[in-house]
Amino acid sequence: MRSRPFNEDPLSQQSPRMTVFFEEYSDIIPDFSSFEESLRKPLPTHIRINRLLIEPASLINALEEKGIHLIRASRRHDTICRATGFPSPGNLLEYFLGYIHPQALTSSVAALVLAPESNSYLLDMCAAPGGKTAHCADIMNNTGLIISNDLYTSRHVALGHTLARMGVLNAAITAYQAQEFPLRQRFDFIMADVPCSCEGKFRQAGKATGYRESSGKKMLPDLQRKILLRGFDLLRKDGQMLYSTCTYNPRENESVVNRLLNERNAELLSIDVEFDVEAGLTNWNGEKYDKRLERAVRFYPHRVDSVGFFMARIGRRG
Amino acid sequence: MVRNTQLLAAASRLKIAHVGLRAFQRAGAFVKPTTRLIQNFGRFATRAKLQIDKAQLQALLRAEKIPVDMTLDNGYVILAMGEGSVLGLGLCIHGMVSSQLPRKELRGAMLKCHVEQDHRRSESEQGGISC
Repeated sequence: MRSRPFNEDPLSQQSPRMTVFFEEYSDIIPDFSSFEESLRKPLPTHIRINRLLIEPASLINALEEKGIHLIRASRRHDTICRATGFPSPGNLLEYFLGYIHPQALTSSVAALVLAPESNSYLLDMCAAPGGKTAHCADIMNNTGLIISNDLYTSRHVALGHTLARMGVLNAAITAYQAQEFPLRQRFDFIMADVPCSCEGKFRQAGKATGYRESSGKKMLPDLQRKILLRGFDLLRKDGQMLYSTCTYNPRENESVVNRLLNERNAELLSIDVEFDVEAGLTNWNGEKYDKRLERAVRFYPHRVDSVGFFMARIGRRG
Repeated sequence: MVRNTQLLAAASRLKIAHVGLRAFQRAGAFVKPTTRLIQNFGRFATRAKLQIDKAQLQALLRAEKIPVDMTLDNGYVILAMGEGSVLGLGLCIHGMVSSQLPRKELRGAMLKCHVEQDHRRSESEQGGISC
């Protein structure tokens, strides 16, 4: 796809649509004008260093010798970096070798928040293309077992390729509908990065990568609720689950989690991240949500300079 | 190939589409280790290992054969570059090695940074370019 020159500001050309669309969030997104401004800027390139195959310091030095400068994007984790002046990490030899994986900062944070333990049993409910599964395998040091699930077998090619490239040895791929995953299993950790309207990816000028127009959006909350409920039912007694989306829409975020809190004996666990985040909403558009939703977090592009994101960490009550 | 764990017994009740890392594949009448298997475990090999440089890798990616000094048996040979980076397999026949690396994944463009860097370094040493 030919990209448009940046100075044409296609975002302002599209602004009537964008204004109408994001305007409904103007009362929940802090510093809304800065938020709008951030959507005009290109998404920075973040990469995750794969510790299964290389130590971060070695990789950073090797790329430095090639003139590629990596800046740590996290004070706590040396595996998440920002690549300056090199927009295509997929063209590096280190990508082929599985040493790096291009991944948005907020996507990288998801597995760190879930923090699966070594030798545990993990389910990634909507796994393709495999970035979060691979990150979980890294955190688990390739121990335990990950069930990496994606409904569409056509996506298994990309999923399998990512896992193989990154040296993941503790994963098995399944093809269930996430909301119908068999109940005869119980997992220690569950990643539910569900299909969503991808509003958080509306960032690059002239591109709405993966962004879904309104006709598909209406179906999403019902699907997301079913996936979340099934995921919760698959949790062990002291298991933990992360529900995440890359959208700002409370109908797909707080409202869905609120339904879980009403229908199951679930608890929202606090999330401790070093980044500038906003708490989950407790009301929106006339709808009130459980107060515990304040423990969820929202990532905005003008605060973290990455894809917009929502996360809620969930456990069983008691 | 998959890491052994007691959890596999629980997972056996699921309908598995694919498990672990594919270790071998058919190459005509032969069985060939996959590139990913070699990348993960090739560093432990004590035989049939060949250290190559960037120029040799570029030649292999152009589908050229490279001569080798070592006395290598005919057959697959592990290609390594730099410190500890195992690329995959080559095929040695009578002292000439051809690439068995996945062409679609490993492109000449991936070496461009390296080559440009080396080129800049050598030119600056000759006093030809100021950075």
